[in-house]
Amino acid sequence: MESAPRALLEFRKVHTHYGRIEVLKSIDCRVNEGEIVCLLGGNASGKSTTMKTVLGIVRPTTGDVLFDGKVVNNVRTSERIKRGIATVPENRRLFPHLTVLENLEMGAYTRSDKQGIAEDLERVFEFFPKVHERRTQRAGTLSGGEQQMVAFGRALMSKPRLVIMDEPSMGLAPALVEQAFEIIQAINEQGVTIFVVEQNAHAALSIANRGYVLQTGRVVIEGDAKDLLANEELRRAYLGEM
Amino acid sequence: MSRIRNTSNAPALPWIPRWMLALAALLAAAAFPLLVEYGVIQTVWIRVGTRALVYVLLAVGLNLIMGETGMLNLGYIAFFAIGAYTTALFSSPRFGFEVPFWPLLVMSAGLAMLAGYLVGLPSLRLRGDYLAIVTLAFGEVTRYTFNNWESVTNGPGGIPGIYRPTVFGYLVERPIEFYYLILVFVVLAVLLVANLKNSRVGRAWNALREDEIAAEAAGIHGMRAKMVALVISAAIAGVAGSLFAYYQQFINPTYFVFMQSVIIVCMIVLGGLGSIPGAVLGAVVLDSLPEFTRQSFSSWLPAIFGRDFMAGWPDFLRTFFLDFDQYRMLIVGLVIVVMVIFRPEGLIPDALWRREVHQEDPREQEHTLQTLFDIEEGKQDLEV
Repeated sequence: MESAPRALLEFRKVHTHYGRIEVLKSIDCRVNEGEIVCLLGGNASGKSTTMKTVLGIVRPTTGDVLFDGKVVNNVRTSERIKRGIATVPENRRLFPHLTVLENLEMGAYTRSDKQGIAEDLERVFEFFPKVHERRTQRAGTLSGGEQQMVAFGRALMSKPRLVIMDEPSMGLAPALVEQAFEIIQAINEQGVTIFVVEQNAHAALSIANRGYVLQTGRVVIEGDAKDLLANEELRRAYLGEM
Repeated sequence: MSRIRNTSNAPALPWIPRWMLALAALLAAAAFPLLVEYGVIQTVWIRVGTRALVYVLLAVGLNLIMGETGMLNLGYIAFFAIGAYTTALFSSPRFGFEVPFWPLLVMSAGLAMLAGYLVGLPSLRLRGDYLAIVTLAFGEVTRYTFNNWESVTNGPGGIPGIYRPTVFGYLVERPIEFYYLILVFVVLAVLLVANLKNSRVGRAWNALREDEIAAEAAGIHGMRAKMVALVISAAIAGVAGSLFAYYQQFINPTYFVFMQSVIIVCMIVLGGLGSIPGAVLGAVVLDSLPEFTRQSFSSWLPAIFGRDFMAGWPDFLRTFFLDFDQYRMLIVGLVIVVMVIFRPEGLIPDALWRREVHQEDPREQEHTLQTLFDIEEGKQDLEV
């Protein structure tokens, strides 16, 4: 008998508020070890807030966020990073005046194994030859696509167990969007669990194992990615059925 | 890691390595009192030099918090005051205490650090203008406390008769001895800050300055990293205050007014935020400028051009140069305005600050063009 998949990240009835406004209304979701899970939804559905809640930038008012089986509600962001969460944030948020190389090094801030850091740096450069080419340039001068690669690289430098990505395809030229999803898949194949928020539902679902659809702070649909891709309601609402 | 930091800290003067400049500056500072000893310049200069060194300590310390983490601190002089008052109270006839030099130096630095910690707890969550206001208020509250707590501090009357320190069995008495004593602490502070800059916490500071949320998301405990900067910079100010009190033998609250905080900020802006040599240069220039001008116009220039070389000048110009101290803030203000317009990165800029100030660096234009082409190529791919 197949053992039940192990949840790396879990939300249990999570509510969050910005002031008096309730944003997430009892979210339950889980990301199992080794999966790609995508979070879909329209504007103001609570996608980014969910990501911020994973990172601890926003704290749940009630409910629990669990990482690796432990409640992390009151664990601060930097400590969560140390425990193995990395992020490719919305709009990438590179350190604009640091060089590409310095940005990647910041990704490895929590680590002290110099040997391992050097190896991972090589790996990132192998993965993204363009990033290697640009390594001495300051990050703010890179094109959107290049910055996205640096953001992926920076996330990988912490040797994370879970990478959360907020709209990784936003602002990219169409040809680069496809590439971004290929990269996400390749990162996942190296054993990294991925939780990704996307507007580009079709592309995200085509690489994901499972997906959740949020609407005004509630999970309205959840299931296997291929079922979601086939879901009529979802197709009409989010996949821009033509 | 250090290899990479070094490339980004490319020297401002590319033809001379930075360590050689630092060594040259140190030798010049060490040789300076000889000019006085051999009568090349007047004895007043040893006092000017000593005071400038105290300000160098302050500028280097403030630069740690302002230059590295980007937090505007307008009450820095308060830590200096706390160090000075600690030393004055525990090594003077005021209460009959006579704590020896080293323990008292540690106490002075320690109390300044404690104050830094306490003021940091609520205020480090604030940013920009708010932090500036809180630190300004802290500076003023501290001064008013020393001014009004007469039973302890003797209020505006100040504390006279601070004992001379005995350092390693040697009684420090003459101005020249104080000069060298303070110079030693300047060197120690510079070494400390230079090492911190290139350390792990130094990189954390720079990342926090660039983007706090991204820094947290890289695993940096923002609050803790900023607190480290604040407490260490407070310690440096505390040490400076202690040395200042010993040297001056008398302190009162007027030494610690808000304008002093402003001047230290001006020193590091002039020299270049985040730059240690900049802080040193800014402090020396701004602190000794009034005396330099006065001396120039009262003795050096007359020696060259004759005693009455200013005879035909209008009165206001003569008083301006001879009584330059009165106009000091005017000049400092002008200098800062001119700097911000023409050289915002400071006289000896820090590499990272220069990059922040100059969004467009001609050396990078080439890359940007390449980048544009890349996007074009991407589009073509799509159409095919």
